[in-house]
Amino acid sequence: MLPLSLLNAAQGKPMLVELKNGVTFNGHLVDCDQFMNVTLREVYQTSADGERFWKMPEMFIKGNIIKYFRIADSILDQAMAEQEKQRAAGRQRGGGRGGGRGGARGGGEGGRGGGRGGPPGRGGPPMRGAANGRGGGPGRGGPPGGGGGRGGRGAPRQ
Amino acid sequence: MDALIPFTTSGSLVDLVDKKVMVILRDGRKLLGVFRSYDQFANFLLESCVERLHYKLEYADTDLGVLLIRGENVVALGEIDLIAEDRVPLIPRPLDEIRTKINEENRRKERDHLIKSKVLETVGFVSDGREGDAY
Amino acid sequence: MLIFSFFKTLTDQVITVELKNDLSITGTLKSVDQFLNIRLDGISVEDPERHPHMMAVRNCFIRGSVVRYVRMAAKNVDTTLLEDATRREIKDAKK
Repeated sequence: MLPLSLLNAAQGKPMLVELKNGVTFNGHLVDCDQFMNVTLREVYQTSADGERFWKMPEMFIKGNIIKYFRIADSILDQAMAEQEKQRAAGRQRGGGRGGGRGGARGGGEGGRGGGRGGPPGRGGPPMRGAANGRGGGPGRGGPPGGGGGRGGRGAPRQ
Repeated sequence: MDALIPFTTSGSLVDLVDKKVMVILRDGRKLLGVFRSYDQFANFLLESCVERLHYKLEYADTDLGVLLIRGENVVALGEIDLIAEDRVPLIPRPLDEIRTKINEENRRKERDHLIKSKVLETVGFVSDGREGDAY
Repeated sequence: MLIFSFFKTLTDQVITVELKNDLSITGTLKSVDQFLNIRLDGISVEDPERHPHMMAVRNCFIRGSVVRYVRMAAKNVDTTLLEDATRREIKDAKK
């Protein structure tokens, strides 16, 4: 499953966010977007040196300042199980649509949105048509390209 | 169409999925884990992640669990060759021991850097940044 | 796109990538993408004792944004071809 899909699936769950400057925040994820901006609630902030602490009811963190998220194993397992269930349901319904966003719409000039093809392997976005995304091949199931700048990053909510 | 596979980010990373990898971050951290997923920004999803602190040929690990890393903080991702890993002469040590050694080394480096900067300034050189600033 | 195309011609050649964190990695170029992210196989590091973490790594993915230099054998580079391609790019860009 795509990294940003996991983030979307983890809404409501607790996590740790570390910023580029080393400050960490522990809180529950309220919402996130394609730019990795997040809002957290019941947040405990720790300074980079681990010496000072703050508590806040709510906070917005701009995506571009984030270094990484630490998420509980159970959340990943749960999200993958959910995705598997939905894929199985989709396959049952005839496997036709599968929710694939693919098609070679990538190749946008400049901007990061131009990437072609997300990870088609394990947990990748469902392929259109035939069951069992085997992966490989450019431009299938990837987030749409173009849109310059930071656009086109949206991982779909499953 | 097949000829294009090596020339996309997806093409070049798909064979590393589910393998044990080491990610180097811009702040100098080395993280080892199972590579689960990525996207066109090189955001990475790692499972069973540990941070490995190295001091010469000794090391210590800290557990981190599942990590979603923002791509711009990534320097490189390397596939760990499991056979080579067993042959490598690295010695595990307790975490606090390694931490102490690293802190001492950093204090020494800091002191040396200050002296060096002062001398270089007299000759007209401006001090450069530290780890993580070079980007 | 020009440098991307140039790197595509270098696949399967040995190159040395010098990163902004001063680490130098030598290996065979297996793949490159539009962001100039690089896949190297059979890597060796220039100062292995200073970088013990790389000991068990045989192939790696390097994010394009952290590359300072890419060094390669001169014989692998057709400078005339590159010059022509560059002039063409500039002309096309001006149009």
